[in-house]
Amino acid sequence: VAAPAHGDLRLAGVLALLNQTLTVLLYASLAVGAAAFGAAPLLFRRVLPVTWIGWANATAAGLMLGVAYLLMTAALAATPAGLALGAVAGIGFIALAHRAAGLADLDLNRLDPTPPEYGYQVLLVTVLHAAPEGMAIGGAMAVSPALGLSTAVALAVHNVPEGTVLAGVLAGRGVRAGRAAALAVAAKLNQVLLAVATYAVVSAAPAALPVVLGVAVGALVYLVMAELLPESYRQAGRRAIALTTMAAMAVVVLR
Amino acid sequence: VTVQVAWYALLTALATGLGALPFAFARSVSGRVVGLAGAVASGLMLGASFGLVAEGAARPGGRLATGVGAALGVLFILAAERGLRGRAGAFEAIRGAGARRMLLMVAVMTVHSFAEGVALGVAFGGTAPLAVAITVAIAVHNVPEGLAITAVLYPRGVSVWRCAWWSVFSSLPQPLMAVPAYLFVEAFAPALPWGLGFAAGAMAFMVFDELLPEAYGDARRAVVAGVVSVTLVAMAVFQRVL
Repeated sequence: VAAPAHGDLRLAGVLALLNQTLTVLLYASLAVGAAAFGAAPLLFRRVLPVTWIGWANATAAGLMLGVAYLLMTAALAATPAGLALGAVAGIGFIALAHRAAGLADLDLNRLDPTPPEYGYQVLLVTVLHAAPEGMAIGGAMAVSPALGLSTAVALAVHNVPEGTVLAGVLAGRGVRAGRAAALAVAAKLNQVLLAVATYAVVSAAPAALPVVLGVAVGALVYLVMAELLPESYRQAGRRAIALTTMAAMAVVVLR
Repeated sequence: VTVQVAWYALLTALATGLGALPFAFARSVSGRVVGLAGAVASGLMLGASFGLVAEGAARPGGRLATGVGAALGVLFILAAERGLRGRAGAFEAIRGAGARRMLLMVAVMTVHSFAEGVALGVAFGGTAPLAVAITVAIAVHNVPEGLAITAVLYPRGVSVWRCAWWSVFSSLPQPLMAVPAYLFVEAFAPALPWGLGFAAGAMAFMVFDELLPEAYGDARRAVVAGVVSVTLVAMAVFQRVL
C-alpha cells in the first residue's frame, strides 16, 4: 500500500477540523434554540409569579456553576497558571463592561411595565451574559468532544430557565409568548458566534486553551454571583434557592 | 514516633491559625466589611468544595458515592440548623442568629477536616514518607480555611486570637484522621468519596443558605460577585498547586 500524498493528508486534516467546527456550530445553535422553551410558562400565566422567576434563576445558576466546575477541573489538570490568568481577565472584563454600561446595580427581573430604555439594558446584559457561555462550549469541545457535549447540554438546559426570566420581563412589557420566545433566542445568538470563533482560535493555538477556559470560568462564576443569585434570594427565599442551586449544580458535576 | 506524630499534628493545626493573621491589621468593622468577609468565606469554601468533589469523583466508582455523600452533608446542615434554632445558645458571648451562624461555621469546617485528613492520609499512603511531605501539605492547605473561619467570626466581634483558636480547633481532626488513614489505606480508601462528598455538600450548602444571602444584604452585588469569583478560582488553583 502506498503512503498517501502530503496533500491528501492535509485535506483530511482540514476536513476533520471543518467537521468538528460544524459540530460546535450545531451544539451551540441547539443550546441557544433551547431558550425558546423558556417562554412556555407564558402559555399558562400572563404574568409569571415571582417565585417562578426565583427558581428559574437558581436553576440557571446551579447549571452554570456546574459548567464552571467542569471547565475548571479540565484546566487545572493542564495549566493552573493559565486558568488563573484567564479567570482574572474574564472577571475583569465582565465587571468593567457592566460598570461602563451602568448595569452593575440594575434590577434584571422587573415584571412590571417598564420604559423602553430598560429593554435595551436587559438586552445588553443578556448579550454580555451569552458571550462567555459560547466560549465555554468552544473551549470544552477543544478539550474533548465528550466535555463539549456535556457543556452544551448543560448550557442548553440552563438557557431554558434564563429564557423564562427574560420572557417574564418581556411579558411585563406586553410582549406575547411567541415573540418572547423568538427574542429569548435572538438575544443569545452571539453565543453561537463565540463558540465557533473560540473553537477555531484554540484549534489554531492550543497553548491558549487553559487561558480561554479560565476566561469562561471566571466570567461564568461572576455572572452567577452578580446576576442570577442576588435577585433570587428575595424572590423565592434562601432555603429554596440554596437547595435548587445545589441540585442543579450536582446534576452537571456528577454527570 | 508517637511524639513525632504529635508534633506534626500540632504544627498543621497551628497553620490554620495563620489564616486569622490578616484580620490583626483590620481596623473598624462596618456592615460592608461583614459582607465582604462573607463573600471571601463563600468563595474559599466553594473553591474548596469543588476540589473535594473532583477528588472524590476521580476515585473508582466515586461519582455516586460523592453525590450521595454531598446530599448527606446538606441534610447534616439542615438538621444542625434545626437543632440550634430551638435553643437560645450563645457563641463567644454573642447571642441570636449571629451565634448560630458562627457555631455552624465552626462545625462545618471541623467536620470537613475529618474527610480532608482521611484524603491526605490515603493520598500519601504507600507512596511518600509520612513525615515532612504530609505535614507541609496539610499545613499550607489549612491557611485559607482559617481565613474563611475568621472571615465569619471576626466581623461579629470575636477577637483575632479567639478566631485563630477556633481555626486551629477546626483543623484538629485532620492529623487525627490522616495518621490512621495513612497506616491503613485499604480500610479507609473506600470511605473516602463518601466523606469528601459529605464535606463538599455541607460547605457548599452553608455558602448558599447562610453566607451568600447575608453578603448580598451587606455589600453591593458587583462587589460580592467580584470577591467570590476571584477567591473561588484562587482557592481551587492554590489547593491544586500546593
